This record gives sequence, C-alpha cells and structure tokens, in this order.
Amino acid sequence: MLPTSLGPWLDYTINGLVIGNIYALLAVGLALIFGVSHLINFAHGSVYMVGAYIGWLCVTQLALPLPVTFVVVAAGCGLLGVVIERVGLRPLREAPRIAPLLATIGLSVVMDQTAQLLFSPDPRAPPTQLPAWRIAVGGGSIGALDLLIAGVGVGSAALLYGFLRFTRLGWAVRATALDRDAARQCGVDVDKVNRTVFAIASALGGVSGLLVGMYYNTIDPNMGFQAGLKGIVAQLIGGVGNVPGAIAGSLLLGLIESYGIALFGTSYRNLFAFVALIVILVLRPNGLFARARRLPPEPLTGTFIAPSRPVVLPRWAVWGLAAAALALPLAVRQPYLLQTLGNAWLFALLALSLTLVAGTVGQVSLGHAGLLAIGAYASALLTLDAGVPVLLAVPLAGLVAATLGTALVYPAFRLRGHYVSIATLAVGEIVTLVILNWESLTRGPIGVTGIPPLAVAGTPLVSGQWVYWVPLVVLLALAAVQSRLLDSHLGRTLRAIREDDIAARSYGVELDRYKALAFAVAGFVAGIGGALMAHFYSYINHETFPAPVSMLALTMVILGGLGNVAGAVLGAAVLVGLPELFRAAAEYRMLIYGIVLLLLIRFRPQGLLGTV
Amino acid sequence: MIGPVLSRRSAVFNALAGGLLLAGAVLAGSPAAAANATGEPLWFGVSGPLTGPGAQYGAQWKKGFDLALDEINAAGGVKGRPLRYVFEDSQNDPRQSIAIAQKFVADPKILIELGDFSSPASMAASPIYQRAGLVQFGFTNSHPDFTRTGDFVWSNSISQAEEQPNVADYAVNSLKLKRLAVLHLNTDWGRTSKDLFVKAATERGAEVVATEGYLPEEKDFRSTLVRVREANPDGIVLISYYADGAAIARQLKPVGLTQPVVAVGSVYSPKFLELGGEAVEGVHTRANFFPAEPRPEVQRFVAAYRAKHNEEPDAFSAYAYDAALVAHRVIEAGGTDRTAIRDAFPRVKDIPSVIFGSASFDPATRRVSGVRNVKLVVKDGAFALWDGGVPAPAH
Repeated sequence: MLPTSLGPWLDYTINGLVIGNIYALLAVGLALIFGVSHLINFAHGSVYMVGAYIGWLCVTQLALPLPVTFVVVAAGCGLLGVVIERVGLRPLREAPRIAPLLATIGLSVVMDQTAQLLFSPDPRAPPTQLPAWRIAVGGGSIGALDLLIAGVGVGSAALLYGFLRFTRLGWAVRATALDRDAARQCGVDVDKVNRTVFAIASALGGVSGLLVGMYYNTIDPNMGFQAGLKGIVAQLIGGVGNVPGAIAGSLLLGLIESYGIALFGTSYRNLFAFVALIVILVLRPNGLFARARRLPPEPLTGTFIAPSRPVVLPRWAVWGLAAAALALPLAVRQPYLLQTLGNAWLFALLALSLTLVAGTVGQVSLGHAGLLAIGAYASALLTLDAGVPVLLAVPLAGLVAATLGTALVYPAFRLRGHYVSIATLAVGEIVTLVILNWESLTRGPIGVTGIPPLAVAGTPLVSGQWVYWVPLVVLLALAAVQSRLLDSHLGRTLRAIREDDIAARSYGVELDRYKALAFAVAGFVAGIGGALMAHFYSYINHETFPAPVSMLALTMVILGGLGNVAGAVLGAAVLVGLPELFRAAAEYRMLIYGIVLLLLIRFRPQGLLGTV
Repeated sequence: MIGPVLSRRSAVFNALAGGLLLAGAVLAGSPAAAANATGEPLWFGVSGPLTGPGAQYGAQWKKGFDLALDEINAAGGVKGRPLRYVFEDSQNDPRQSIAIAQKFVADPKILIELGDFSSPASMAASPIYQRAGLVQFGFTNSHPDFTRTGDFVWSNSISQAEEQPNVADYAVNSLKLKRLAVLHLNTDWGRTSKDLFVKAATERGAEVVATEGYLPEEKDFRSTLVRVREANPDGIVLISYYADGAAIARQLKPVGLTQPVVAVGSVYSPKFLELGGEAVEGVHTRANFFPAEPRPEVQRFVAAYRAKHNEEPDAFSAYAYDAALVAHRVIEAGGTDRTAIRDAFPRVKDIPSVIFGSASFDPATRRVSGVRNVKLVVKDGAFALWDGGVPAPAH
C-alpha cells in the first residue's frame, strides 16, 4: 500500500517533525545529563510525568494562568532534579557506574507509584488555555501548541548551548563532562555542576511533560516510561551527550517513524524506530552528529563494574543449600509458596543468563526478555506446530534462542558501555515487535493458546511440587555448568574482556568470538527459562515478556552481584519474593519495592554477594 | 470511601508489623456494610491490576464490586452470610497471576475467582484453576479461546462475535457508510474484534479500505491517519479503549479527516469525553452500558453508583458489578462447595445484569449471550441516544 502521490509525503514529513519535536523535549534533558554524568537517566520520564501533574494541579486546582504554571512546573521539577541528584545519585559517586543507572530505575518506580497513589491511575485531561487557531500545511494543519513545543525545544537547546559556551558555570559543566577528576583538580565544584545540570534538565523535563500532556490532552502516572524510552533512543541517534544532536536525532526519529508508518503500516512503527537505532549504532556508534574527536577509552575504565570481594560460599554450603532447596516440597506443601519459588527459579535462569553477559563479559543487556520470548515461542511452536515432544522442544528452544539471540546482538559486539545496553534494549523491542507482526508464524497479537504442559511418559508435571522442582533442577544443572565455565580459562578470558578489552585484544583474545560464545550460552539458558515459562503458562503472546521484565532481570543481577552465579539466584529469589511479601500492602507494594531497591543500591552497590 | 481507606491502612500496618509470612495473607477485602447479613462471611477472590499500567481498570473494578456487595449484603447476603472479596494485585502480569492462582486455590475460604484483566495474565492462570477445581470467572476476557481451558473457566465477557456485527450494523445499515477505515488496538482483543468486524461489515455490503493496528501505549496517530485519509474512506471505525480512542479522535481534524466515526462500546466512559473534548463530538458508539438507558437494572446501578462514589460509572465498573452479582448467585445456588458452584452456572437463570439485561450461561460455550446495546452519539459533550440522523457525507 504505497502512497500513490507526493501529496501525503509532505504530510508524513510534517507529522514526523511534529512528533520529533515532542521527542526532542525529553532528549535534550537526557543528553545534558548524559553529557555530564555519563548516566542514562531512567528517572527522566518520571520527572516528565511529575511536571505534567504539577501543571495539572496549578491549572485546575489553583487556577493559575499558563505562563505562571510553566514557571511553577519548571521550579518544582528543577527542585525535584536537585533532590534526585542529592538523594539518589551523589551518594553513589564512588560506586560502580551501574549503580546510579539502577538508582534512576528505582527512583522512577518510586515517583510513578507515588503519583499513582496521590492522583489515582486514571488518565486526566489538563486544560489548555492556548488559542485554537491552526495553520493549514499540506493536507493537514498544525496548531499553536505544535509551534510552542518546537519553540521550547529549539529555544531551550539554544539557551543551553549559550550557557555551555559562554558562562563560567557552563565551562565547568563541560570540563566536568570531559574529565571529572581533572575538573575537580582545577577547582571546579563538581557537585554544584551536577546539581545545576540535574536542575536544568529536570525543569525542562517537567515543562515537556506538561506540554505533551496538553498536546495529547491526557496525563497519567505511567506516561513517563515510554516517553523516556523514545527520548533515550532519540538522543542516541543524535549522539549521546550532544544537545544539538539530540534535537536533530529526535526529528530524525520522528521522520523515520512517520515514513515507516507510511510505507509499512502503523504496527511497524516502533520496529522501524529500533531497527534504525541499531543501524545507526553500528554504523556510527557515537551517533550521527557526534564530533569525530572523542577521547579514546582509558585502560581499565571501560568497565561498568567495580571490583569487590565476592562472598564465596564454601562448597559444603552450596551443596547443603541445593539439597535443602530440593527437599523443601517434602516439608512444605503450600502450593502458593512453591509456585512463588518456582517462579523465582525460572527468573533465576534469566538472571543467570544475564549475569554472564552483563557481569562476566561486561555487556550490560537491557533487552534480555527478548531471549525469554524467543525461547518461549520456539518451544510452544515446536510442540504445537511441529509435533515435537515437550521434553525435546525445551532444549531445542534453548538452541534456537542461543542462535537467534547471538545473531541479533552480533552487530552490537563492536559497541561499548552504554551503547551495548541501548542496542540490546532495541533488540529486545525488535523481538517483541517481530512476534507481533509475523502472524503466519507466531499468530500475532492473538498469541499461542493451549501450550501443553511438561510431561514425562504421558504424565503432565503440573502439580505444586513439579512447578517447583522442574525449574529448580534445570537451574541447578545450568548454574553448575556456568560455574565450571567461569572457573576455567574461559571465565578468565571473559573477565579480561570486561576489565579491558584493548588489553585483552592485544593478548590475542578474539573479542567477537568470545562475546558470541557468552551470548550463545546466555541465550541457551534464557531460552530454556522462556520455554519452561511457556509450558507452565499455557498461553503466551507478545505482551507476556515486556520490556520491564528486562529491567527486572538486570535488577536481579546487580542485586546479587554482577557475574556472581549464586548472586543471580539470590537476586531472583529476593525480587520475585519481595513483591509477594508485600502483597498485603496492595497498592503500596510497588512503592515499597522501589524504596527497598534504592536502599540496596545505596548501601550495597556491589550487590549482596559481590561482583566476581 | 471510609472502608477502603481503613483497610489499606491496616494492610500496610500488617505488612510492616508482621506481614512477612508468604501465605499469611492479610485480607484487603471490602468491608462492605453488612446491614442484614451477619455471621461467617463468604469470600470470592479477585486477581487484577491495582498497580502498573492497567491499574485504572482495577480501580474501576473495585468500585463496581464494592457497590454490588453493599447491595447484596444489605439484602441479606448469601442466606444471611455476608459476601466479601480478596483483591490480589497481579499488575496484569502472568508471573504474578499464576502465584495468585496458587494462593487462591490453596485457600479453602475462596469459593470462586474473578479476573484477571488481560489474556496473558488470565489465561496463564486458567490451567491452575481448572486443575484445582476452582471456578475462574473472567469478566473482561473476550479472547475466543478463554473458556476452552476447561469446565471450570466461565465468562460473562461480551463475545466479540456477537458485538462486532452490531457495530457493523450501526456503521453500515444505520449510518449508511460504505467505505470504512478500521483502526484497532493491536492486542488479542483488538485483533479478534477487527477480524470479526471486517467480516460483518463486508457481509453487509461495505468495503473496508484500510485497517491499521496500533500498540496500546501509542499516543501519536497523525501519520496513521494520513494513511487512512489516503485510502479515502467515508467512515472511520475505532476498535479502541477510551484513552486511545479519544487520542485518535483528537488527531482527526489536524490531518484533515472529517468523516463520521463509529467506535466500539469499550470507549463508553466519562473519560472518553474528558480526554477527547470537542474532538469526540459526533462520535457514534454502540454501547453495552448507558446510564441514561431507561432499563431498571441500569437506572438502579447508576443511581447507586453515583450515590456511593460521587462520580459517573463506566463500562469497567459495570462489568465488575455484574460479575459480583453472578458470583453471588452461583454461591447462593452452589453453597460452599467449589464443584457445586461450577455446577450452579448452567442452573442460575436470568441474573439481573447491567450489560445483558438478564444473564444466563450457555453450558456449551460457558459464556453469556444476548448482550444489550444502544446506539449512542456524543452530543454537546455528553453521550446521547442516537436520534436516527445520518451524518452528511464527507467531501
């Protein structure tokens, strides 16, 4: 269904710019924060949501005029930014680089949940006080708000550019961005710089939330996550930490999406956006508009992971714990407890897989749920469409996930640090979107129903004990294999890549091969986990393994200690168990979960059992 | 709203004080005023979203349940015993809904389970309920395979096979639209509905010139609507919920679309009007639930809902209200035995229902048929009964 005339292309272009405008509002703030603190701020989307609600309160409850509302929103969110920096991030200055990233995820949970408790989850309509005139362009029209959004986006970018270029504080910000330690030695108050940057970026984020809320005439407590994600993608396309680049990247992302819809239809929209992101990351890892001159990575600083002394469980303790875990169903017969722990073991498979690539090899993946989805669909479809017995389908699904997962992440192997995370995030989204759109294979949004349960000799293993035992036995076996691998020369090589890939390469380590090996093992483990989930759930669709599952997996891994096999299991048990423990607190439990996460990051950033 | 606030506080207190027992669940149920019903309460379990992206639907459910239980218990409950519920938050997530399922099936006081919200969360739990012999009663589960898991899975969710031909009738026969563009949520519900709608519309002699599926979190529809515009339809059909339906309606004019819009009944909500503003003026919908409808069961529900919650009910609170009435009747008929409750489903006839008028279950499909609906149009910022006026053709 190609559009036949040129007429609509003008409209598609304008629409792309209109939505790109909106992405730019968030991307600019994200770029500023990244530029200074090398942090992908996942809390930015929540600040944007808070800004929308402050604006809504000002207009509807206090009846403030619009300009005053904008000032209040900017001030309120600027203050919030300062608080976030002070409470959530400054204490983590000396912590491993991954800790602040996680802290922003925790802060985002806390803010979203608080907003939901205060304002209810219902969407609300913020009243606009803008004139209703519209300018006809092409077959459509644009209104006052479109122009205002463009004005705020470009205006704030120009102001920031001037600030960074012509003021002393701006110089300090740039100096800090280039080299924090050197800046500090030159007398730059790095804390002040960080505070300023967070205040500016958050003020802008809050104003964006209000503007976008007015634009779509709807605000809700969960509006931040998707918006933040698009902002992150946009600033990566433009080049992280590059403010003018973020605007260009946003407009480009808008155009890519709009043309994608034009050519292939609406359901391919995000697929287009994420494929474009991967292509750009692979071809121009620093973004389209990055200056070629970039400081080369210094030895031993390419890593996310701070060294720490891991807690080493003695061998007898490991055996004892495993035996106790295996024997538990003999003593405890509560199906709810067994199911919860069974879930924990299934997620421990995911965490085990992620701790290998994120912890041991240092390739922090944010799209790991994609591997679960591949495994789940592979096993379900092999069983239902190809008639493969379940017991055979599960390991085959592991192989499929290993192969596909490695192939999908392969283009990202040449990337480093945050870029790997974002590329894998994109891969995860791509997997979901392909599942949604490849209907002839995956049945699209209808999903796969009637997936048979695991069965041995015709007896389905579905009772309370089996939902516990099957994942546990698989987990113990795979964890043992992974521990053996990590104790071998392979483990040392993988850790060498993590610590310093340049040094590793100069010792003759073929980076791509070892990364591929790690992703293959990880894909196999996660694929098995996904396959088991499919057979326990009996129904899966593209929404069964959404992006937050990837975040959850990463949280488990970091909580347990990066690269730590026992830590992954512990992290999964804690994070699957915590929300269940707080179940009695109903509406409050996600809030409690967020706070607990923040406390853990604050007081034990190397994870409970330490990094290996 | 004193009751729920109290229960929240006590729940938090318990969580902090000693709620760390996995199974020692604190009852976060509704302390509905049991004016006449006294004695040992009877319980149903609810698995649904109270936090996370689907939380607003769970919040609407609660309001519907609370109202229904107020009425039931004021009228003597179940043979003198009050009916109550335990609401477990699943976040609309299959991982949590299966744990909740295990919890409910192991808890002897739970007589029947209601929910979950979406298909992945609900259908992952179905085998557990089926094997354990606890009825899973889904009231928002229109997935065509939902009740196929087994004889313990029942639903009074509106069957799209019945609903979509009604919508097609409205668009094609009543509004005389012949070239339709369909925008649908790309979920199992939206997709099933779209296929059924396209079939029904084609059978009625209309042509479907464009179909566009969009993701639930989508907010920008301009380019989608340009695509629609290029297909040159004379009417636009929305298979949407209220938030996304309103968002689409708001973006019609900016891309130059002025064709009449027909939306499925799930947009029926005061929120649709609030979020859509002037843009939803003239939108047609065939709603299963309309507060101004003179049917007595609707009028009683609406009046009581306004009195209790001080706001307008929407379709999701009406579904929950109906579901609680069904739970009441089957528990009354089946007693405290789970299997007897299942066996009661085909026997209970003509349960008063906001959505169906009166509901009876078909033992073959384990669903209810005979959904009521009215033709509505948004007029002067409110839903009004359609007066039979055919909109002037666009262009």
